[in-house]
Amino acid sequence: MARAVCLDDDGRSCENQVGRSASSWGGREEEKLLYAGCDLGVATAKVAVIDEEGLLAFEILAYSGFPQEAAAAATERALARVGVPRSRLKRYLSTGFGGKAVPHSDGAVPDTACLHRAVRMLDPRVRTVVSVGGHSFSVFHIRDDGGLGESAITDMCTAGMGLMLETVAVALDLPLDGWDPGVQRPGQVPFIDNQCPIFAESEAISLVNEGHDRHDVQAGVTAAVANKIAGLTRRLGVRREVAIVGGVAKNRAVVGLLERNLQLGFAGLSGMDPQVVAAYGAALLAQEGCSLDTERLSSSVSEHLRRKGGS
Amino acid sequence: MLTAGCDVGALTTKGAIVQDGVVLGWAIVLSRSQAVQSATDVMDKLLGDLGLSYGRIDHIFSTGYGRNLIPFAHGNMSEISCHGRGAQWLVPGVRTVIDGGGQDCKAIRVNGRGALVDFRMNTKCAAGTGKALELMARSLGVDVSELGPLSLQAKDPIKMNKPCCILTQMEVKRLLFEGRDRADIAAGINDVVAREIMHLVRDVGQENDIAVTGGAAKNIGLVRSLERYLGVATVSVPVDPQLIGAIGAAVLAADRCGRAAAGQSRGGPPG
Repeated sequence: MARAVCLDDDGRSCENQVGRSASSWGGREEEKLLYAGCDLGVATAKVAVIDEEGLLAFEILAYSGFPQEAAAAATERALARVGVPRSRLKRYLSTGFGGKAVPHSDGAVPDTACLHRAVRMLDPRVRTVVSVGGHSFSVFHIRDDGGLGESAITDMCTAGMGLMLETVAVALDLPLDGWDPGVQRPGQVPFIDNQCPIFAESEAISLVNEGHDRHDVQAGVTAAVANKIAGLTRRLGVRREVAIVGGVAKNRAVVGLLERNLQLGFAGLSGMDPQVVAAYGAALLAQEGCSLDTERLSSSVSEHLRRKGGS
Repeated sequence: MLTAGCDVGALTTKGAIVQDGVVLGWAIVLSRSQAVQSATDVMDKLLGDLGLSYGRIDHIFSTGYGRNLIPFAHGNMSEISCHGRGAQWLVPGVRTVIDGGGQDCKAIRVNGRGALVDFRMNTKCAAGTGKALELMARSLGVDVSELGPLSLQAKDPIKMNKPCCILTQMEVKRLLFEGRDRADIAAGINDVVAREIMHLVRDVGQENDIAVTGGAAKNIGLVRSLERYLGVATVSVPVDPQLIGAIGAAVLAADRCGRAAAGQSRGGPPG
């Protein structure tokens, strides 16, 4: 299958070139071993399906109901795209907020381990990974020897996470990624101090009531989020190359502000959808762990964590 | 001497009239878009109910949104001062007032005369507010008013480890999927909010007695959690907690007049 069709987080259909021709796939289906990873987040389920040669298909499914059902549905859709039944999956690992809840998973792995594995595969030059999702935010280093370096995770507060962009976009009735350079009036963008979505929402509404343009207010909130992300990244240390992954990496406004703030350009990660990187990493770990027994797999994961904690 | 207090809130506007140490009457109306309109509404209703005219009131203080815009007020005070004075006036032993509102949460310390000593307020984080309780209750699938009674039935209360109410919402959903008891989760929700409020109280310097006012006072589970953290039983204020700001404003107006009268009798300038 040359193309994988998926839905982006607005539910629109988009096509993703996965760089594989149908002929490379056809004919020897029975011999191919497939692996998959599922990254079950708070608002979206991401699934990547791979074989030894690389990514075959992926799926990003926004959900509001039960996380388990979303994970199962996303997996079904990704497999349907490859055109194989679930039984063809040799191994299937899960990660993310709901990693432990994913049905039929062969094991839940930490998201940092998945991101580390995926980024190593996509661009070995990367030394700093910034991961920002709707409800997650972390930064970690990759050492020159490829091991997991130091990391910084914010998990007590939503500051810097994509949720704030979403909350304010809904409150202002603007698209989430409504970044239009033509609309920006730098002198008019209000400074937003709040990092809590609850306060930022009421601050944004107050600013509009005071006569600020909605786009300017959104730009102010975007800058607040970008500043928070840049702040944590700087605190850990900016080591090039730097990659940004997670749903927020698709927000051009945040990425643009971050690149300006950190004075760099983010690594391209071979054109992979930044939202699906953790799921891809889980699939890669599934592939590597496939020849191992469960115990050895979990020890390889704890090796990742040990390196992380030890450095 | 008759004095009045007028407390303009975002949702409701409250008025109270105090005569010689007794609350003579009170009124609550829905706020309008202009603070002046809301204040006029509540005073008209209050005076109408009591059969009084504006001229009979010796002194009126305003507080709340647009407190400096109210034309008939003789002065205005911050909500924090009014809340502290009101609670201490109603229960004289009170030295610390916990005011748990919708979007804010304050710990107010007052002296024996009800004057403001110090206060702490959440500024950056919504943890500890009514909004936090509301969001987490929604995740649990109950109304915020049910949290208190439900949490008292907990057998094995859950310890939530994140202060953030948004992240705790996810935690609540996860716990529900795991099949944990709803009462235990409700107790965990009240506990995490109480912990945030406790930090404010510790920071401002806890001095007993402690009164809990605002929406927080209506959640019995939250009050019990707070008492566990603070190591002391809280005192209840014998009026609708919503009215404390307006009563405090009326009492502060009386304080002002009393001082002025005392000043005049000594021949000094009015204070």
